[in-house]
Amino acid sequence: MTNGMVLAIIGAALAALLAGIGSAKGVGLVGEAASGVVSVDPSKFSKVLILELLPGTQGLYGLLTAILLLSRIGIIGGSPVSLTTEQGIAFLVASLPIAIVGLISGMVQGKTAAAGVGITAKKPDHNGKAIIMAAMVETYAILALLISILMIYNIAV
Amino acid sequence: MSFTNDTRYADAVAAVKALEGSLLTRSDMEQLVSAPGGSELNALIRSKKGTDAPLSLENVWSLISSYAPECNDLKILLYKNDFHNLKAALKALIAGKEPEKYYIRPTSLDLSELSVLISHKDFEDLDDTIRNTAEEAYELLTRTLDGQLADSFIDAASIRKMITASDECCSLIKRYAQLTAACADIKTAYRCALMKKNRSFLELAIAGSPGLDKEELITASLSGTESLFEYLSYTEYEEGASLLKTSPAKFEKWSDDIIMELADEARLGSFGPEPLAAYYIASETELKNLRILGVCKEFGADDSTITERLRRLYG
Repeated sequence: MTNGMVLAIIGAALAALLAGIGSAKGVGLVGEAASGVVSVDPSKFSKVLILELLPGTQGLYGLLTAILLLSRIGIIGGSPVSLTTEQGIAFLVASLPIAIVGLISGMVQGKTAAAGVGITAKKPDHNGKAIIMAAMVETYAILALLISILMIYNIAV
Repeated sequence: MSFTNDTRYADAVAAVKALEGSLLTRSDMEQLVSAPGGSELNALIRSKKGTDAPLSLENVWSLISSYAPECNDLKILLYKNDFHNLKAALKALIAGKEPEKYYIRPTSLDLSELSVLISHKDFEDLDDTIRNTAEEAYELLTRTLDGQLADSFIDAASIRKMITASDECCSLIKRYAQLTAACADIKTAYRCALMKKNRSFLELAIAGSPGLDKEELITASLSGTESLFEYLSYTEYEEGASLLKTSPAKFEKWSDDIIMELADEARLGSFGPEPLAAYYIASETELKNLRILGVCKEFGADDSTITERLRRLYG
């Protein structure tokens, strides 16, 4: 296995790992807040569940990026291509936008959504506003995903 | 970015926000004020709260502490009750009575242990919070046989303890401790001025609080109420002092209201101990309002008098 291939695999791992950590932390935090509300009023479960799901998307974006990268370098499909060190670095760098933004936005979205659980707890009719506020953070994860995918598809192999 | 420190007590805060809905609002309170009599008032309270169970701060405390058992910031809110219970135990010991019926709950002390240890004068094994104060207050009480002096000494000790402990707490608790201390010192200085207490009494009874110079407060109190109001008019407690001049009850209401104002701001947070402390303070104020309401109705006070005495609620 070439150095380039190792670097590209590290890139795929980082995308899945960091974005996954961000999502796990975010979902965990909202889950804590949601459990607090449900322990007092179980009827609010479905409303707080939507908020809990929101920070989970970064992990999916990381997974998607990792699969695309692995597919591009032939690891998925069974015919790995031969990568130079420069190409490996390029794939590693391409994975960073979703890895880093996924990590941070997952945690930040978790905080926003957990705060939104408070809105749902007090004023269940305003649940939509809490969802919108938490969803705004998603924009930046989507932008990072887009850039990562564009970079991965445009690196010459 | 400190994720875990910034987001502590997410579950407790969310639960408390769900519970805030059951607190009485200003319009609920207006309806309660216009209830024609005690029985109608009680029926209305039951219907507003949606429960027949008696309202109790102990339940509020056990709920909050079940969600955030390791939150030391909140324990400062119980110092008032803890030190009251110490006073009760010491006085019961001197009077040869059982202290249990004089205890206030919630408290962070083990009350049965407190009773046993105080009755055996075993101060060493008391909780850290009250150990030194208990020993010194007992010595003071047996030496002077002045219950009022011992009470004032314990009150001042509780305030000092609160101020010291609040140093490492959240901003709400710090400010709560400062305001509680200042209001307590102002009340003590005012009462001492009325009762013409001497300097040694004042030095024991006044705790000293941020925003008030202890020495100047004592000197002003020794010179009489007018000098006291004159001194307070140059401090941040000018508004409270002007109310105290007209009526101690108005000062009491003012001091409760400024603490509720703090709680009202702190409840907006989504994490940390502030919203939990704010909920406890709001529940305490609600119970105080219901007690005022009950007493006023019993004595046939008119609606405007009752409204004047009621404490501020969440905005």
